[in-house]
Amino acid sequence: MFHLNMTTADSAAALVEERLKELYHLIHQIQEERVKNEHKLNNISRAHEKINQEDKMSPYYQQKLRNLYTTAVSDGEVEEELIRKALTKIYEIQSIRNERSIQSRHTGISETIRIGALMKMLQSSALTLPIWVGQPGEKPPPLCGAIPADPNYIAKVGDMVAALVRGPEEGENWILAEVVSYNAATGKYEVDDIYEQQKDRHQLSKRRVVPLPLMRASPESDPQALFPKGSVVMALYPQTTCFYKAIVNQLPVPPSDEYEVLFEDPSYAEGYSPPLNVAQRYVISIRDRKSKGTQSTSATTSQL
Amino acid sequence: MEMSEKSEAGAASEGASKPIEISRQISLQRIQQRKQQLKNWQRNKKLLKLAIYSACQEEDCKCGGWKTPTPPQKPPNPPDGSVSLANFTDPCRSCTHVLESHVRHLENLPEDEINRLLSMVVDVENIFMSMPREEDPDTKRVYCYLFKLLRKCIAGMTRPVIEGPLGQPPFERPSIAKAVTNFVLYKFGHLMPREWQTMHDLAKMFLHCLNHWYFESPSVRKTDATYEEMSEYKVLYTRWLVFCHVPAFCDSLPHHETTLVFGRSLLRAVYRSVCRQLMDKCQSERDRMPPEKKILVLTHFPRFLSLLEEDVYTQDSPIWDPDFKQLPPSHLQGITDTVKVSSQSTRKPGEFEKVTVTPNEKESFTTVNLSPGFGKKHLRTDGNAASASEKKEPSGEVVQQSEAKRRKIEEGEDVPESVVADIIAVISESKKMVGPEDIFAENAARDEAAKQEERRGEIEFHVVGNSLTQTVSKRTMMWLIGLQNVFSHQLPRMPREYITRLVFDPKHKTLALIKDNRPIGGICFRMFPTQGFTEIVFCAVISNEQVKGYGTHLMNHLKDYHVRQNIFHFLTFADDFAIGYFKKQGFSKEITLSRSHYFGFIKDYEAATLMHCELQANIVYTEFTAVIRKQKEIVRKLVERRQKVVQKVHPGLTCFKEQSGNANGGWNKIPIESIPGIKKTGWQPPASSLSPTPSTSDSKSADNEGLMSALKSILNQARNQGIIYCIQG
Repeated sequence: MFHLNMTTADSAAALVEERLKELYHLIHQIQEERVKNEHKLNNISRAHEKINQEDKMSPYYQQKLRNLYTTAVSDGEVEEELIRKALTKIYEIQSIRNERSIQSRHTGISETIRIGALMKMLQSSALTLPIWVGQPGEKPPPLCGAIPADPNYIAKVGDMVAALVRGPEEGENWILAEVVSYNAATGKYEVDDIYEQQKDRHQLSKRRVVPLPLMRASPESDPQALFPKGSVVMALYPQTTCFYKAIVNQLPVPPSDEYEVLFEDPSYAEGYSPPLNVAQRYVISIRDRKSKGTQSTSATTSQL
Repeated sequence: MEMSEKSEAGAASEGASKPIEISRQISLQRIQQRKQQLKNWQRNKKLLKLAIYSACQEEDCKCGGWKTPTPPQKPPNPPDGSVSLANFTDPCRSCTHVLESHVRHLENLPEDEINRLLSMVVDVENIFMSMPREEDPDTKRVYCYLFKLLRKCIAGMTRPVIEGPLGQPPFERPSIAKAVTNFVLYKFGHLMPREWQTMHDLAKMFLHCLNHWYFESPSVRKTDATYEEMSEYKVLYTRWLVFCHVPAFCDSLPHHETTLVFGRSLLRAVYRSVCRQLMDKCQSERDRMPPEKKILVLTHFPRFLSLLEEDVYTQDSPIWDPDFKQLPPSHLQGITDTVKVSSQSTRKPGEFEKVTVTPNEKESFTTVNLSPGFGKKHLRTDGNAASASEKKEPSGEVVQQSEAKRRKIEEGEDVPESVVADIIAVISESKKMVGPEDIFAENAARDEAAKQEERRGEIEFHVVGNSLTQTVSKRTMMWLIGLQNVFSHQLPRMPREYITRLVFDPKHKTLALIKDNRPIGGICFRMFPTQGFTEIVFCAVISNEQVKGYGTHLMNHLKDYHVRQNIFHFLTFADDFAIGYFKKQGFSKEITLSRSHYFGFIKDYEAATLMHCELQANIVYTEFTAVIRKQKEIVRKLVERRQKVVQKVHPGLTCFKEQSGNANGGWNKIPIESIPGIKKTGWQPPASSLSPTPSTSDSKSADNEGLMSALKSILNQARNQGIIYCIQG
């Protein structure tokens, strides 16, 4: 992932502007390539029509088609490369913005961010999480959609994680947190509660920290990287910063969609909440030690 | 002569000393009959009659009216009025000119005008007749004045106009009629249609009685009143006699309805005695009333009067607010409230039905005023003692305070309106500009997102309630059920049955937040219009829609709704979780509403904190944050402009700081002239180094003193800032 150290909003804006310019050029190049390639694709289909008319494949056409396909493939690769470059620019801009907002949160000690604004930020960062677009046959990497991280993966500083922390009274909660550091010697993470930045940091062993997906899986090309319907997951309860046990009710259809899940919630007569939407980024595989997630409502109702 | 003819006005005033309609009606009828009678006379006879009141037209003759040559000797006075034995050739007893000379000018007048003069003659005669019966000297004087006025009008063929120190009606705003109408809206607007109609009828009855009331003369009134009260009543009474009472009988005088031209002061002066007499009268007539009326008059009327009494005498009752605005009760409007009234179309059109409420109603309310020019005008009128005593509404005080503060700072100097307009144009323009502030906007107002959603129609706000007497629409029912679910789920410590009971109670209403035609939050409340407050009963937004600003926007809508209903106090028992929310919404644990207003009315909860929020009538709460932000921005721009005018900014002294840690001493003092920029202000070193104070004999001393005080105040301000390392001494 792309990381940058920035000091001011101005420099962030300058970096964004620079990338927007590059993106602008890339998009123009992509369009040029598309027009060119479309022409070539037309040639290919015309060649096929001729062959169909003649009802047999002459060696001439055989050779011609082969040449046409070879150039079309290599041109297509050029176009693909351009699109990937453009996507990279978009991701860079995103991470500049994310980084900027993290920073403004860190510096804005006197002006604590309002919970509502934080929720909006979390929502928009989840909706703009990069989508994994792999090469044909390439498997989606770890931390793409439902694919878990490697067992020895260490989350980077600033990454979002789900962290199992002791609650103020009894009980433990999976909360949304941000990695501050990792101590390889003790094998412990230092994380900040995303909501209460000013409070004490949590020192947590690795098994109490689950990194959140860094990419979204595309339901069309990589359905295996999504949780199947009916699976039990941990999901961020909407408008809160806590993960609770839930059942996947519906999968996202276009990549921009969210999961629809049913939260385990004894305060509803059916034992489950009505269907609620949760972004891919905030749905992770369950680490069910004992049965948790029964305190969901007591935590959520207090935040009117 | 006809002077012994029975005076109707006299009879009327006697009879009217008790509010007996019948005698009054008879008097009025008789007067009208008499006038009709004269109208049907022959022309000549009319002229003969008018001659008595008409000045002699002979040159240099000052005779004011023809008199019979022989003094009247108890004429037989036949009922047809044909007493006139006079002739056009009969000489006048006082000027000896013939009668014809007294009516010459009338001969060519149109019949209508003659009739009008005759009508005045009847009035004059009636007044004349009632004068000897009147014992009160003040009243007598008024009759005398009116008598002379009418005579002058007959002689001059003019129309009577009452001028002078009494002033012209209306004497006060709002009128009694308007205030009583306000009272009905304010106190009973929440009632069911039938009960509301009862109150409306009682108000009409009360106003009718006042219009036909015969007020006591000042001398009859109890003497426990202060001198000021007495003289005030004298004025009121005289006005009433001249503009309301006498003209009711003497219709050639312009007549005004008591309740339309008088206001609070008259009602205050007479209310208690009127009520007492009214109730006595009702009691004495109870046996003659039909049972229906008996309930109305003996059960509802006393309650109505005692409630009204409170608003007549309390200083800040909203019914006397000249800008009183209140939506008519829901059953008469059927727009903001979704409580549907099926029988609405069959109702008789009442006077309030004209009031229509457009969805944009709130825009007709003044938002917080941005124009300083307007504010100053406001101040001036507020400074006026007369109007200040009138204006007791809290909003007026706020304006006054802030204005006073500003005045102190600016000494009357104000920002020109054009400058403010310029700045506003820039601010609204800059909304289009993109900058880091916009990209990373996280500090928007709490309710901004919700407001945008409302504008886009994604969320809606409705006041809904159950009714036992009206058909409630299915949609409202579905929403009420949804609201009950929201409350019971979000407030697990409240028994579900209890929530159901209150949400469906017809006295409770709920402001519902609707998304996708489903309630996702709401505030259940109960209004106590008679107590002037509303209890917030339940307040919740479902978990997965929280922290989106909906709670704030709901409360602001509720506040605006109540300002429209003229209720300015919210009370609630908040549990520990809710205290934070209510604090953000302007509630406080300090209750400034007196306990007598709410004790026994509000539901008491254990382990909960009573919180109070007072509303300001001139704030539109849903626009509050936007207006404040705009004002802040304007002030910021004004400061920027000011700073541009300041020519030069010097970097500040560093010599003390650099040297302070120096063991060699460094500088403790420097010459004043070495401070950059100080000479440019016009400062000069004192002429004599021995006398640091500027010499007063200096020709420039005036300038210097001005500069001195300016620099001193800068020095003081810099010191008070605290963060500036400042020159000592």
